[in-house]
Amino acid sequence: MRLMVLMALSAVFLSFATLTEAAQPRIVSADGSITETVYALEAQGSLVGVDTTSNYPAQVQSLPKVGYLRALPFEGVLSLRPDMLLTTVEAAPDRTLERLSQAGVDVIKLPVARSPADTMARIREVGRILGKQAQANAIIDDIRTRVERIPLASEGNSVRVLFLMAAGNHGVMIAGKDTAADALLKALGASNAMAEVTGYKPANREALLASQPDAIVVAESRPGQFDITQWPQLAALDAWKQGRHYVGDSMLLLGFGPRLPQAMEEVASMLGQVGPVASNDH
Amino acid sequence: MIIDGAGRLAKGPALLLIMGAALMVSVVSITNGAYPLTAGDILGVVIGDLNDEVARMVLFDVRLPRLVLGFLVGAVLAVCGAILQGLFRNPLADPGLIGVSAGASLAAIAVIVLGGTWLGGWLDLAGAWALPIAAFIGGSGTVFLAWRIASRAGHTSVATLLLAGIAINAIAGAGTGLLTFYSSDEELRSLTFWTMGSLGHAAWDDVAMAAPWLLLSLCAAPFLARPLDAFLLGEQVVGHLGYNTDWTKRAAILIAGLGVGASVAVSGLIGFVGLVVPHLVRHTLGAGHRIVIPASALAGGTLLVGADCLARIVVAPAELPIGLMMALIGGPFFLLLLLRTRIA
Repeated sequence: MRLMVLMALSAVFLSFATLTEAAQPRIVSADGSITETVYALEAQGSLVGVDTTSNYPAQVQSLPKVGYLRALPFEGVLSLRPDMLLTTVEAAPDRTLERLSQAGVDVIKLPVARSPADTMARIREVGRILGKQAQANAIIDDIRTRVERIPLASEGNSVRVLFLMAAGNHGVMIAGKDTAADALLKALGASNAMAEVTGYKPANREALLASQPDAIVVAESRPGQFDITQWPQLAALDAWKQGRHYVGDSMLLLGFGPRLPQAMEEVASMLGQVGPVASNDH
Repeated sequence: MIIDGAGRLAKGPALLLIMGAALMVSVVSITNGAYPLTAGDILGVVIGDLNDEVARMVLFDVRLPRLVLGFLVGAVLAVCGAILQGLFRNPLADPGLIGVSAGASLAAIAVIVLGGTWLGGWLDLAGAWALPIAAFIGGSGTVFLAWRIASRAGHTSVATLLLAGIAINAIAGAGTGLLTFYSSDEELRSLTFWTMGSLGHAAWDDVAMAAPWLLLSLCAAPFLARPLDAFLLGEQVVGHLGYNTDWTKRAAILIAGLGVGASVAVSGLIGFVGLVVPHLVRHTLGAGHRIVIPASALAGGTLLVGADCLARIVVAPAELPIGLMMALIGGPFFLLLLLRTRIA
């Protein structure tokens, strides 16, 4: 009985979906870098809502926000009458997602990207879903060329980078292994100065001094959020004093979206001032 | 005559007034939400004229279970607050004091953080219910632990119960902190949202899981009204008036532990209701528990459903955590009440 209702329901929605698809599917994107990808593919006309992690490009601010991708509200998402919810495996709660697909929303969970290869694969997938294969291929080609051109720090004499997250006014978190920050350093052939830590952990000011990194990268969730004058220990590090530091937007640095080459280029050009640099010939 | 000499409302009309308010917020809660439904749509769905499956789903599978769960949880939190305030003879007592929130939080974060490793077996076993069941066991378990510590030879010392509660709170808090430290960024966000409470994910199976415990504590609470009145006069008086002191304490703790444990399990941490609603009721209707308990139940349910309405409308299509909304509405209201009392 329940199955029949479900089947009838999905039949209703399938016909509904094909009708509207002829015009343009209505899409809610619940992930910052997927939203960026939709814009990069010039499919933003389909977007009817985004989550709170979507903040780039600036036009995205005018779209309705459905909250945080780990706490998606059922009725809130449904109220935008989407044909499709485009998100990642990080989306939650599971039961909300289940009920959304019962209500006829096509819930698509893409994998989380942690390398340039992942990023390209994900863009290809979004392009396929949105029927923008040509644009996706162009973007992927561009990413591949630009990433290959980026000089890699050589394996043997790897550059040790201290990666920090500035969120809120208090404190800074250090990025250890199993983080997007660590993945970015890996993609650049640099090593994480805090590899003994797992995840993002509050920074110990003494440990910052002790780490003596070759370079420092700070990801801030809002421009101007990181204030070096509050962190004399960082300012005292040779890396900072000698200008081997980069402060940038966290979505740019950690999103692994279409702006990945830009993030890698900017950090690499700062790292380029450090130690021996080998060219990337893979 | 609605207001008596002490400036209190007469009980009958006051109860009717709260019931009216309850009915009103229920209607508001059913008719409002992020999904656009007109009064005509709703009527159509209810009488079966409108054949819109999604509208039907929003109405019957989203808003209705949410309303029912919100009312039950609000009522139980307020009633348990009233009972504990009576038991401790202290207006500052709330279910958090004897460790419910701390225990439930510890269990919830354990599931969130250790679900992938040590507690993987539990997750496989309990599936989607792993967190709510663990929170229920954690919350109720801590209360019973505090009660066991405070009981010797069949007697329970209320003062020891309070102190044991404080100690257990501290220990559970440390455990939560430790797990927070080891959690990943994503786990941390999940936990943060859980601690702010939400009715947003309520479905009928949540109601079915929690309702037996919630109803049990709601139905049992009125039987404690007279013994709790006697408690107000001092613990010795309870015995003199023919009530069994230890039986009363045990029942009160059992009701609070199970009721609040189940509430926390399905809706996360929602503070404030348990503390403030009984206060308001006592303030307006007098301190007798035969009126405080039912009136708290009605007012607590009404307040929580009202707060939930705002929580989902204010930032639609997103939702505010209900715990946050509760404090935003209740805090200023409570302050106002305090100020008016001081002036009067």
